[in-house]
Amino acid sequence: MDSRKDFDSKEEIIESWVKLYTGSLLQWAQFKTSDKECAEDLVQDTFLAAFKQLASFNGNSSPKTWLLAILNNKIKSYYRNKYKILTEKAKAQTSDSALFNQFFDQNDHWKNHEKPSDWGDHQIHLLDDPEFNHILASCMNGLPEAWRLAISLKYLEQKKGELICQELDISPTNFWQQLHRAKLQLRKCLSLNWFKA
Amino acid sequence: MNWMMLSCKKVTELVEKKSLVGLSTKEGVRLRLHTTMCKGCAAYQKQSFQIDKLLQHHLANDSFSDLAPTENDALINRIITKLRA
Repeated sequence: MDSRKDFDSKEEIIESWVKLYTGSLLQWAQFKTSDKECAEDLVQDTFLAAFKQLASFNGNSSPKTWLLAILNNKIKSYYRNKYKILTEKAKAQTSDSALFNQFFDQNDHWKNHEKPSDWGDHQIHLLDDPEFNHILASCMNGLPEAWRLAISLKYLEQKKGELICQELDISPTNFWQQLHRAKLQLRKCLSLNWFKA
Repeated sequence: MNWMMLSCKKVTELVEKKSLVGLSTKEGVRLRLHTTMCKGCAAYQKQSFQIDKLLQHHLANDSFSDLAPTENDALINRIITKLRA
């Protein structure tokens, strides 16, 4: 078998996969990034990487599963890079006192009208409710981008906090402090727009 | 205010630290002490945990096969062109 023929068949395999799986990979990437253009780029990069690494596909999993694993890695590094850039920017301009003064008094205790009160017990199947999902998404979108990314990373990675921080090259303290700010704001937004609405 | 007593701001911070990397024994004790006495922080901690659960499902939801396919012929052509380049 000459190498030229080998190359052609490798190309044919990938092209058939592009036709079969672009749709579902794109859906996934769009769902994870909420950004159509960036999702398209990630899917394209996935196939280009798959083409290069095709020799390492051993058929133990389905092509779709294999491609999805590559795509998931691409999505994670997309978030990591974006997060790093934004965090650098945010360092220069965050005014923490404004955020905290909104919630806490001079002694760092809850201001009266900000004090959390019970949400009740009706939240078990919330995620089945499209209206709740809509509010959750819009509360997330209301956060400063660096915070939203910090939250997304925490749940996308499904890893121990220390590991996420190692990969992002930030201290765990910076990371949970950022999550803390994000959570304060997110909780208030959900409370106002859903639980107490 | 004795030395064991944390501020509410600090408590909301520790709630986050706990879920990410865990607390020291002393921090854990002070957090529990505060939330048994402060209804606002007790509610905050509970809700923070609920939000974690909700986000986990919202963001890590692996049931994407339910999603309808979108228009993607243009992207397919673009990728194939790149591959042939």
